[in-house]
Amino acid sequence: MRLRREVPHTLAGAYALDALTEPDRMRFERHLAGCDACRQEASSLREAAGRLAAATAAPPPQRVREQVLAEAARTRQRPPLTADGPASSSAGRRAVRLRAPRMAVAIVGGCMLVALVLGGLFIDTQHRLSQEQAHNRAIVAVLNAPDAVMTSARAATGGTATVVMSHHDHALVLTTARLPALPSGKRYQVWLMGRHRVRAAGMLPQPRQGMTAPVIVSAVASGDAVGLTVEPASGSRSPSSAPTLMVVLPS
Amino acid sequence: MTEGQPGAWPPPARGGDLAGLLARVARGDQAAFATVYDGVAAQVFGLVSRVVRDPAQSEEVTQEVMLDVWRTASRFDPHRGSALAWLMTLAHRRAVDRVRSGQAAAARELRMAAAETGYDVVVEEVESRLEAQRVRRCLDSLTELQRESVTLAYYGGYTYREVASLLGVAVGTVKTRMRDGLIRLRDCLGPDQ
Repeated sequence: MRLRREVPHTLAGAYALDALTEPDRMRFERHLAGCDACRQEASSLREAAGRLAAATAAPPPQRVREQVLAEAARTRQRPPLTADGPASSSAGRRAVRLRAPRMAVAIVGGCMLVALVLGGLFIDTQHRLSQEQAHNRAIVAVLNAPDAVMTSARAATGGTATVVMSHHDHALVLTTARLPALPSGKRYQVWLMGRHRVRAAGMLPQPRQGMTAPVIVSAVASGDAVGLTVEPASGSRSPSSAPTLMVVLPS
Repeated sequence: MTEGQPGAWPPPARGGDLAGLLARVARGDQAAFATVYDGVAAQVFGLVSRVVRDPAQSEEVTQEVMLDVWRTASRFDPHRGSALAWLMTLAHRRAVDRVRSGQAAAARELRMAAAETGYDVVVEEVESRLEAQRVRRCLDSLTELQRESVTLAYYGGYTYREVASLLGVAVGTVKTRMRDGLIRLRDCLGPDQ
């Protein structure tokens, strides 16, 4: 995880894409401070990266505008950075500037994520990728559906389930985190619970580091809810116990 | 509100105009700030939503970004790059911070497990717009590995190490592809406006 023995210059692209971890970014910025050509390149790559944003424009709700303008009206502005003390003229604005180090929170967050990735959860997924490409594609289709909505629910016994649902595709993707561990021979089973019937929708995979890989459920009808029950590992034809957790699907 | 309607594309405040507005914002001009907001809110919100995905969090992050603009407009330096790039950098960093902070962990787990680039989706969303079409054409001119590296990092909010893991290639390769991919993109896009 060190830059030291690498050629820092090659990180200009990753830097412009904000794809560096916080420690890497801080080291790269120190490198930039002493390299004019690098700064110029980084800046031009930033411009290119910023153009990518044009491709995703979507208006925020009107309330955001009202909140932002109201908040701005009562928020004090930062003075310009100057070489020689407080700002006296706009000419001072070209002075050397250093970015304040980001909050420790961001660093911790970044490291935790890297740890999670390296922790095997994802690496394992990737090894199985070739066999599961079709499955993944179906999942991606739901996650990226224009009408996809996310909702989650907490179990009384601890743990959460998160559902991303596309009404248009009549499909949903379910994942869980930190559900209570089950004794051997028991598994969580997924159910689609409609007003008139309950339909088995597969078993939750075994969790890795507390999280389960996404499960896709198709033929979801409007008004269905997703329920999880504890069942024998082979699965049941109908729920044999009260649900551990219910996710009411957004209508 | 008219700023968000499709007909308002491209937004009114861009290029030198935006830089001039930011100078006024730095002096506490609230009307100038409202104009900046109207000019860039759709781009900021669109990008933030692409990275963060959860609508409520995307709104929050958009607010944070716009307040950052208000508070730090005096730190924008036209000699170091365009106003739009400065602003989109603020937005992208905020969005990436949010997904890496774990607050969006659930949604992120889903996406990590799915392990595919959002490139196609991005392309679909952009079809009708001119600048967006240019972006698409230029993305198409990249090699597959360049394109995947760039889009996973930018739209997905992944670090280059995560991108390497997602694509199953060496970390060094991804670094290089991000750089030469962006260089090719820059040269293909040409100057803004």
